[in-house]
Amino acid sequence: MTLKIYADRMSQPSRAVLIFCKVNGITFEEIKLDLARRQQRSSEYKEINPLRQVPTIVDGRFKLFESHAILRYISCAFPGVADHWYPSDLFKRAKIESVLDWHHSNLRRGAVAYILNSTLAPALGLQKNPQAAAEGEKILSSSLEQIESIWLKGNGRFLLGSSKPSIADLSLVCELMQLQVVDEKDRDRILGPHKKVEQWIEDTKQATMPHFDEVHTVLFKLKAKLQEQRLSEANNKIESSKNTTLPSKM
Amino acid sequence: MGLKVYGHRMSQPARAVYIFCKMNGIEFEEISVNFFTKKTASPVFQEINPMKQVPAIVHGTFKLFESHAILRYLACAFPGVPDHWYPADLQKRAKIDSVLDWHHLNLRHGALRLVQAVALAPKLGRQPNPQVAIEAEKLLSESLEKIETFWLQGSGPFLLGNSEPSIADLSLVCEIMQLEVLDDKDIDRILGPHKKVQQWMEDTKTATKPHFEEIHGVLFEVKAELQKQRLLGANNA
Ligand SMILES: N[C@@H](CCC(=O)N[C@@H](CS)C(=O)NCC(=O)O)C(=O)O
Ligand SMILES: N[C@@H](CCC(=O)N[C@@H](CS)C(=O)NCC(=O)O)C(=O)O
Repeated sequence: MTLKIYADRMSQPSRAVLIFCKVNGITFEEIKLDLARRQQRSSEYKEINPLRQVPTIVDGRFKLFESHAILRYISCAFPGVADHWYPSDLFKRAKIESVLDWHHSNLRRGAVAYILNSTLAPALGLQKNPQAAAEGEKILSSSLEQIESIWLKGNGRFLLGSSKPSIADLSLVCELMQLQVVDEKDRDRILGPHKKVEQWIEDTKQATMPHFDEVHTVLFKLKAKLQEQRLSEANNKIESSKNTTLPSKM
Repeated sequence: MGLKVYGHRMSQPARAVYIFCKMNGIEFEEISVNFFTKKTASPVFQEINPMKQVPAIVHGTFKLFESHAILRYLACAFPGVPDHWYPADLQKRAKIDSVLDWHHLNLRHGALRLVQAVALAPKLGRQPNPQVAIEAEKLLSESLEKIETFWLQGSGPFLLGNSEPSIADLSLVCEIMQLEVLDDKDIDRILGPHKKVQQWMEDTKTATKPHFEEIHGVLFEVKAELQKQRLLGANNA
């Protein structure tokens, strides 16, 4: 039976799972959910994932959510996944676990809070919250600093000094790609000081081409839309203070 | 190969690691690093964990931090650990990983911020923050509800319907134990509605006796100290 992946390409962990499968030649059926339309709240999806988040996979009768758990599972369950993604060596694997666990309360927590409260809130029917955005940015920046000085230490181009990417590289880079939707000058302020991080994002993209760009297309489209909006908002400001609407797809 | 565990008994993830080692007869040297007094930020400790947090382990020359990663590692590195803690079966293991990943930004994010915003703020040199407390309690209650109705579904007493505890049970129960430092009426309000959660905590305690109580001794002392302070405060008012 084909692996099913329930995903929204606007969701960073969903993208990580999709890219991972494509890079490793794993056949799957992608079932698209539109979070901006709250499709994750449907009663059908509740049967798949009672916690109503994406991504979720169904492999035969086996259901699983939480992207890190999914990436680990697929690495082990599907033959042919190269060892560097999730090494069988106990010590190497443990270090990757450490990065993945660190991700949640640091990079992810900061990035999600910042991007939501500075940019995406209106698309999800929420208010932007500058205070929460500032707190998010603080956690995000200190996480980037930790990636730069701790996780990217070593000879290789990837996390933990590896010469090839692991599921942790993919997960963290997909998280950071979400910054594409924020205003360019904010993104530069946040990413600019972290040259090694920028290079590592590039290297991870290159290592997972062409799938990386393909799966991120939706994000790039939204980025363009939001940029246009900011431009016309700036122009309109001169004449009036007219209300703006965001596209329905976040 | 010697195992060193850098931790503190007031740290819920450190307690989980200590209890796990004791339960499984894994010998270790306990090195206490007081995060309340910022000993975690000392240059010496940063050599062990550059993220300046406990727990961290050193096993021979191998250094590791993040409690879930440590628990997974110990379960695999020490031959005598029974399979139920972190099953070799791929699908069983994946489900436990799913709980552990969920833990971070749900149960932990709620419980930790609540406890820090209310009871432990003075110990951390901060002002209590009622706004954060409200948000954190909301997330905590939602997380407890998800444990009650989803993660504790099934026939066994433990998470995922298992008949024996896993590292996820230990990690999550140690997290919830931290609520002990709150006022009793707050604990009742928060935990009261979740009968299955209460039973599961009891079952996890019983399954990890006598180590569970022993490792939580310090927490109970802090609880008593804070209770006394609250009483004094009330009498003075
Ligand atoms: N830790 C989870 C995070 C999952 C998550 O936050 N998913 C978001 C999209 S990025 C979602 O489904 N949100 C919809 C909702 O919560 O209603 C993972 O890595 O899979
Ligand atoms: N996700 C980490 C959390 C570690 C953590 O938050 N440790 C706290 C004590 S519970 C700490 O060391 N705090 C000191 C600090 O952050 O300065 C784990 O599970 O190990």
